[in-house]
Amino acid sequence: MTSLDKRVFAHFDWGLAIFTLVIPLFGLVVLFSAGYDAEGAVNLFGFFKVNFPSAACLKQAVYLLVGIVVMGLGMAIPTQTFYRYSFFLYGAALLLLCAVAGFGVVVNGSRRWLDLGGFNLQPSEFMKLGLIVTMARVLSKRPPRDGVSYRFSELVIPGFFIAVPMVLIAKQPDLGTALSLGIVGVGQILFVGVRRKTLLAIVLAVLALAYPAWEMLHDYQQRRILVLLDPESDPKGSGYHITQSKIAVGSGELFGKGYRQGTQTQLEFLPEHTTDFVFSVLAEEWGFVGCLLLLGLFFGLFVSMLRIASRTRDTFSCLLAFGFTVQIFAHVVINIGMVIGLMPVVGIPLPLVSYGGSSMLSILFGLGIVQGVSMRKLQYRPS
Amino acid sequence: MASFERPSLNVNSRAWIALGICAICLFVLALRLWHLQIINGHVFRDRSENNRLRMVYVPPPRGLILDRNGEVLVRNRPSFNIDFVTEDSPDPEQTVRALAEITGQPADPLIEKLTRQGKRRMYEPKLMLRDVSRDLVAKIAAQRYRLPGVIISVVPARDYIHGDLAAHAIGYIREISGEQLKNPLYAGYRMGDVIGQYGIEAKYERYLQGERGSQAVIVNAAGNKIGEAYSHLALPGSDVMLTLDRRLQEVADRALVGRRGAVVAMDPTTGDILAMAAAPRFAPSIFTSEVSKEAWADLVDGKENKLTNRVTQGVYPPGSVFKIFVAAAALSEGVVTPQERFFCPGYSMFGTRKFRCHKHSGHGSVDLYEAIVQSCDVYFYMVGQRLGVDRIYQYAHDLFEFGEPTELGIGDESSGLIPSTAWKAKYFRNPEDKKWYPGETLPVSIGQGAITTTPLQIVRGLSAVVNGGRVVKPRIVRKVVASDGRVLEETPAAPDMVRKLDLDPQILDKLKRSMVGVVEDKRGTGHRAGLPEIHGISVGGKTGTAQVASRESGNKSEDHAWFAGYAPADNPKIVVAALVENGGHGGVEAAPIAQDVFAAYFGIPDPPPESKATLKKKPALVVEVTRD
Repeated sequence: MTSLDKRVFAHFDWGLAIFTLVIPLFGLVVLFSAGYDAEGAVNLFGFFKVNFPSAACLKQAVYLLVGIVVMGLGMAIPTQTFYRYSFFLYGAALLLLCAVAGFGVVVNGSRRWLDLGGFNLQPSEFMKLGLIVTMARVLSKRPPRDGVSYRFSELVIPGFFIAVPMVLIAKQPDLGTALSLGIVGVGQILFVGVRRKTLLAIVLAVLALAYPAWEMLHDYQQRRILVLLDPESDPKGSGYHITQSKIAVGSGELFGKGYRQGTQTQLEFLPEHTTDFVFSVLAEEWGFVGCLLLLGLFFGLFVSMLRIASRTRDTFSCLLAFGFTVQIFAHVVINIGMVIGLMPVVGIPLPLVSYGGSSMLSILFGLGIVQGVSMRKLQYRPS
Repeated sequence: MASFERPSLNVNSRAWIALGICAICLFVLALRLWHLQIINGHVFRDRSENNRLRMVYVPPPRGLILDRNGEVLVRNRPSFNIDFVTEDSPDPEQTVRALAEITGQPADPLIEKLTRQGKRRMYEPKLMLRDVSRDLVAKIAAQRYRLPGVIISVVPARDYIHGDLAAHAIGYIREISGEQLKNPLYAGYRMGDVIGQYGIEAKYERYLQGERGSQAVIVNAAGNKIGEAYSHLALPGSDVMLTLDRRLQEVADRALVGRRGAVVAMDPTTGDILAMAAAPRFAPSIFTSEVSKEAWADLVDGKENKLTNRVTQGVYPPGSVFKIFVAAAALSEGVVTPQERFFCPGYSMFGTRKFRCHKHSGHGSVDLYEAIVQSCDVYFYMVGQRLGVDRIYQYAHDLFEFGEPTELGIGDESSGLIPSTAWKAKYFRNPEDKKWYPGETLPVSIGQGAITTTPLQIVRGLSAVVNGGRVVKPRIVRKVVASDGRVLEETPAAPDMVRKLDLDPQILDKLKRSMVGVVEDKRGTGHRAGLPEIHGISVGGKTGTAQVASRESGNKSEDHAWFAGYAPADNPKIVVAALVENGGHGGVEAAPIAQDVFAAYFGIPDPPPESKATLKKKPALVVEVTRD
């Protein structure tokens, strides 16, 4: 391991660090309300009994602390190491995905988890990391032959790297994660550049394949997409999530109903209000103003991440930073789009805010890697 | 390491493009949020309130119904209803089947109730069974685990303290029907509301109903009540005080037990109905719980017609009671003097047709007084011919209001019919039938033929004779008092007069003296209506035995028995009409009923039949059963 050069701290990105911490702290405040239960005695991971009225908030705080450690780990690992072990990471994640397909735990009708003796592992989180790293390596190793943009033949191998885990994850079924995985990979390719003609051909091909793909979707997935078009058609069934979420968001109006005053949330009309629909809680209790605040924080985070990407001195680091940016960005847009009725309900958490350890650790690890890229940007000068 | 070389791509511009796309996406999200929260925010705010609040309606206690002295006739008692919140049951039909099994009810009608929607909010309880017994409540409570969503609610129900007392006047209440809900008259009512359907309950529905209270209950998504947002108390209905006298009503009701007929008593000066009894009766309480098909069929079917208020809806030929009004016409028109005598040989010839007097041996020579007292038919055949049918019509209809409803206002009223040449010309098609034949006037003169009246019309007409010629409008409600004591409606002390008859007081006096003779004269047909002499209250009246056209004309008991009378004779306070369908002789069947009512009115202990005034006077009287 490269010794920690003192210069690396000179390039520590304070902007990224601040947004990385402020967003989950804001999230904890929202979660305190969303998970509020006056009689809540939290049994913390089976070890301590704590009297705290919001289990989700307390556990998330613990995840955040652990996540900060994991983020430090991401910072400490040299970018070079990721380059070196990228295929290993990708291969390991792929193996885990296969293991899930074989003997994963079924939760809510989908097979996403591996039970590792009291500890559940979600291999698709590993695959996000594996794919970003691998795509960065593949694309930086094989830049477009004309030096400007890829042609179709050059995209076959990267496309293969994206497609295999996507299919495995979509089969679980976890449409949201598969989709975000695709967006990240494709985003990295587009960042480098694709010929217009090729792009057009691919888009047309995707559209042509849309119908058979639609046929392959599960009934409930089809229904969710249909319900998006007309949520009121089934207010008690598939449309319930979207309808209740829109009521929660809309009823927040400009300034919200007040902290812990959201009736949709507190009376549990809103489903999944600590996890996927946590944004609705924010919208209901903090109103439009609160929503803009969070969108602003995320925008700040993206600006910091893109600045780091743009200041790198090598393609791999750049694509690595950009890949994580796209990952978080895709999650934010899909999640918020979902809760305000712009996208189908696909079960994607809101990064850094939704309650959940896996997501928190994985996102913070990624942010640690991006911080690491920033810190080491001068280390790899062209020889 | 080639890959760590300075990238050949223009990273900066790409980052800017990426930032632009990022900004656009976030802007689209913000735009959508603006649309949801600012533009449509109030809509969603309403919907979130709707989600959170469940309106629970609290039925108001219905107003009381009191008699004229303030004695309670109908009040409320707590009752148990079985309601069902379908949203709380995973399988509503299965739950209803279980409920049917536990209660021993057929399941199908209950399941049918499930499908009747009407205006209904989500989670609003649906009424399944009304007024169930405590035993059943206990059974249902014990099996609650089988009945998710089934609720036992306590609501006020009608308590008929006196059973079926004055059932036709009071009426009944029942759940509002689908047609009624669509009727703008019932705007504001909801499915499951119980409303007056008949009698006073229906007529004064808006007063008696009161105002429904409501509670906005805060519920969570599971539908459990977790608090109360606000509530409006139910406003009890207003009390309706009737003109009926409970004691008198009881006597009238009792007199008709086992008979079909009507008894009505009225204050001749004010028009206050003191008693209104019709038989057979129904028990209003059967409408409190579910009415079975059999019970309903029994109420509306066949000859019984239990729901018919025979006082206002029953039409009968008045028979000899009508002679009073014919006599009034004849004297006023001067076609006969009180002293003029006719000879009754027991029949009267009209052309080749023989019209019989009820006393086949004949009354001999009779003047007006004797003709009324003995109810001589021949006398009135003669007088009727002198008057002609149209003059009879003019007096009976135009002056005494026969053939016109009394507008008492409780339920539909029959108008009855007084025939005339104009009526016949209008209502018959065949030119032959349109003509009035003079021979047809004869039966009309004795209250037979096409003529029909209601018992209430008889009372109204007789009141006009005995109160000095004032035709008053009968009334049954004294006042309406709101729950806070405000008097909402009060009938004035002065009667609502239809008209003042311009009749010679001497003529009225002559008629009254004749009517007293009917009861008190030794030859009178109505002596059974008289009160014991020692009380000093003399009674006047007129009997009637109306022939009913029947295939079995040989059967004497087909005749309707009538008695219409008043007391005290010198200053009438009460006018009574009693009718017994197919009862036979008015003097035998109807007069004792009137006597009972008079006795009750004047507080005279029920005299045994033998102690009756006229009988005391003439213990050896041969009770000649005559058809008067």
